[in-house]
Amino acid sequence: MIGLLLYVLLGVGLLAFLWALARRKGAPVEGCGQQFVEARQALRTLQFGLLPENLITRIFDPEDFRYVTSASPGEIGKLFLQERTRISLMWVRRVRSEIRNLMHFHLAYSRLHAKLSLVTEIRLALDFVLLLMACRALRILLYLRGPYGARAVVGVLTAAAARVCAASEKSLAFLNPPTLESFRRDSAGHGAAI
Amino acid sequence: MSIPAKHRDVLAAADDLRRRTLAGMAQPLERMIYLASTRDYNTGLYYHQGLALRFSDEAACEALADCHREAFEELVAASMEELVHELEAYLKSTRVAAGDFILAWKGLEPYRVAVPVGIDSLSSELVFSNLKVALAILEQRLMARPKPGASPHPLPVQ
Repeated sequence: MIGLLLYVLLGVGLLAFLWALARRKGAPVEGCGQQFVEARQALRTLQFGLLPENLITRIFDPEDFRYVTSASPGEIGKLFLQERTRISLMWVRRVRSEIRNLMHFHLAYSRLHAKLSLVTEIRLALDFVLLLMACRALRILLYLRGPYGARAVVGVLTAAAARVCAASEKSLAFLNPPTLESFRRDSAGHGAAI
Repeated sequence: MSIPAKHRDVLAAADDLRRRTLAGMAQPLERMIYLASTRDYNTGLYYHQGLALRFSDEAACEALADCHREAFEELVAASMEELVHELEAYLKSTRVAAGDFILAWKGLEPYRVAVPVGIDSLSSELVFSNLKVALAILEQRLMARPKPGASPHPLPVQ
C-alpha cells in the first residue's frame, strides 16, 4: 500500500513537473519575428525617447526649480515640484518597462541569433539586475526626496541603460537592412514621421 | 525617383522653409504652433502651398514635419526660464489681451494638439508640464501689475 502511494506521488510529481515545463516560455525558432520587432521598438524608445542626454538633463536639472522659486515663490514652486516629480516618476516607469522588454528578449531569443561571449552575457545579466534595482531605488528616492535628490542614482541608471542598449543593438543588428543604413547615414537624422 | 534624390529634395525644402517662412519666428514655441497649423487634423499631413509648388507635395510635407519636430525638440531642451520668455514673446506676437490669452491657454491647452506625430509621450508630457508652470508664472506676473490707470508707466511683464 505504501509502495503504491509512493508511485502515485511520484506520478503526480512528474505530471506537475511536465506541466511546469509546458508553461515555461520557450524560445521558438520560428514565428518569433514579433518579439524581435518589439525588442527593436523597446531599444528605439530607450535610445531616442527616454535616454537622450538633453531630456534627462532637463528633467533632473535643479536650475529650473531655482528659477521657478526665485521668479514666483509659494504655490507655483509647489506646483512645479509636483509636476517634475510626476514626470520623473513617469520616466523611471517607462525606462523600467522598456528594460524589462529588452531583458525578456535577451533571455528568450538573443542566444539564437547573436553569439555573445560568456563574459558579455554575464556583464549583460549584471547590468539588467543593476538597472532593475536602480529603477526601484530611484522610485523610492523620488517619492521621498523629490526629483533633485537622486542625481547619483540617475547617473548609474543611465550609464547601465546605455551599456544594455549597446549590447542589444549588436543582437538586433541583423534587422537593419544595409540599404536603409546607407540611407540613414546620408540623412540628417530627422526623417519625417509621415 | 531614387530614395536619396527624394531625400535631397526634402532637405532642400526644409532649408528653404527655414530661410524664408521660419526666419521671422525666433522662438521655437512660435514655430511649433505655426507648423502645427499647417497640418491637416484629419489626415495628419502637412501642407504649404508655396513650398509644394517649389518642390512637391510630398517633399513639402516631410520638410514641414522635420521642422516641426526640430522646433519641438528645442522646446524639450528649453529651461523654465527660456520657456517663460518664449511664452511671453509669443503672447506679445499674438496681439491678444494677456488675460484672454492666459485664460484660453489654461482652459483649452491648445499646445496639446500642436505636438508632432511620433514624439515620445514622455517628451510631450514634459513640455505640457513646463508650459503649465510657465503659464502660471506669467499669470502671476500679470496679476502683480498695477491696474490700468493706476500708474502712467505700467510695469513690464518681466
